Amino acid sequence: MLHKPHSALLLVGHGSTVNPDSSAPTFDHAEAILRMGIFKEVHCAFWKEEPSMRQVLHMVDSEEVYIVTNFISEGYFTKTVIPRELELDGEITRRNGRTLKYCEPVGNHSRMSELLLKRAAEIAPGVNPADTSLLIVGHGTNLNDNSAFAAKREVDRIRDMHIYGEVFNTYMEEAPLVSEWDTCTNRPNVVVVPFFIADGLHSYQDIPVLLGIEQDTGLAASQRDIFRQNPYHLRNKTLYYASAIGTEPLFAELILDQVALFDSQHADEVSLEGSTHNLSK
Amino acid sequence: MNRNLTQALESWISQGCRSIGQIKITPRPEGGYELRHTEDYDRNDLTTYSEATDARALSFFDDANAYRPLKTAPTLRHGWVLNLPDSAALRHALDYFYPAMTALWQSHLKGELRLVPLRETLDRQTGMYAAAKRLKDDEGQELVAWHCVLEKCMKRTLWNFAPGQPLTHLAKEARTLPSGAGAPGFHEIPLICQEACNHLVPACRETVKKRERLESAESQQPPQNTAAT
Repeated sequence: MLHKPHSALLLVGHGSTVNPDSSAPTFDHAEAILRMGIFKEVHCAFWKEEPSMRQVLHMVDSEEVYIVTNFISEGYFTKTVIPRELELDGEITRRNGRTLKYCEPVGNHSRMSELLLKRAAEIAPGVNPADTSLLIVGHGTNLNDNSAFAAKREVDRIRDMHIYGEVFNTYMEEAPLVSEWDTCTNRPNVVVVPFFIADGLHSYQDIPVLLGIEQDTGLAASQRDIFRQNPYHLRNKTLYYASAIGTEPLFAELILDQVALFDSQHADEVSLEGSTHNLSK
Repeated sequence: MNRNLTQALESWISQGCRSIGQIKITPRPEGGYELRHTEDYDRNDLTTYSEATDARALSFFDDANAYRPLKTAPTLRHGWVLNLPDSAALRHALDYFYPAMTALWQSHLKGELRLVPLRETLDRQTGMYAAAKRLKDDEGQELVAWHCVLEKCMKRTLWNFAPGQPLTHLAKEARTLPSGAGAPGFHEIPLICQEACNHLVPACRETVKKRERLESAESQQPPQNTAAT
């Protein structure tokens, strides 16, 4: 069990100036971790919302700060934008009496496949996986972004487990297109899990239109009175559409694992007096 | 390094601070604090909340339920009262209502707040925002005057346009601290801006892109036929 009573945890998310739900999972996971009492303090920062990465370190009292990026993959943001905005020198930055510890992005975690399977099973209870096509939908064509690579990695892992009749990647902007979900699948049931951090613009508003379950993008999730009801019977198939994988509450555990992983990888380097950890689970 | 924002907050309130932005802070006789919209000071029909995390939903949407991507916009929702048990909860709630604002004020008072000129912010941009580096001085001064007025954002803009180059078009009230801010007995925790935000930088990019599109279109137009005699 991780125990960091003298340290701060900083979760960094993308956020949005347009969609109010983009930052929600990051805030949710931060609140869940704060309630666990593991850290002295837990803060969030965003690229597109407040507090910004240029502001957030002023909010931190602690001298030791673990930084975990709540991003679905490693890429331009985790490698370029976030280190630049937080003025990081590398994995460990010592500045103004502080030690900043930059952990792996949450999307790199090896349990991601487990979470995708959990979400897929929850959204289609009682449905035989052998008669089901599982589609993991990503953005695609993101410049400098490895999200498509990460989504392919997860599909390969899940396919090798031989649980679902078939498992594919689909994308919003490149083939195989999520809008062609019915023609690229050969099973009567289709489960679609968005490989996104939040139920924001893409997963809640754009993809439902591409799937054909909504006529227009409509309002954000938090501004609607009625939420969607699975399953959808269309195009001669039964379609189940899940929330973005990043809304899964178990993401909080993955975030904590990334902190523990950082400690295990830097065990021979300085740690703050009084801060202890135990990696056994 | 010696920071304790919760204690700083307690100290400011004990010295008479009773508001931040559009929020009225009232110490309760039984302990803890009550928060409400300053314009709701005499209302008795408010919905009561009691968790610091309730501030998140209260801060995210305005009276018309529209998303508030800029928390320091003067559009705080009315109709609620938030009772908080202690100063730790107060700090937590204010971090939702006005992210980083109490922290930046603490850093300002401690002399630890670096003010970053707009040019420095733009010059470090990469990717799609790298275009913002090509913003012209007059374009930038006008953008700041348009976006950073107190009617749109209540933060006081403390950064310069470039080192030694002040903001010239923004109203003086929006680029100076309120008179007496930080002095004993001052009633308000000021909202301050130490660096251009994620609303202004994209606006700078858009201005550059728009100008360059126009310049490109003009350079591709065939010369006008003036020899019609």
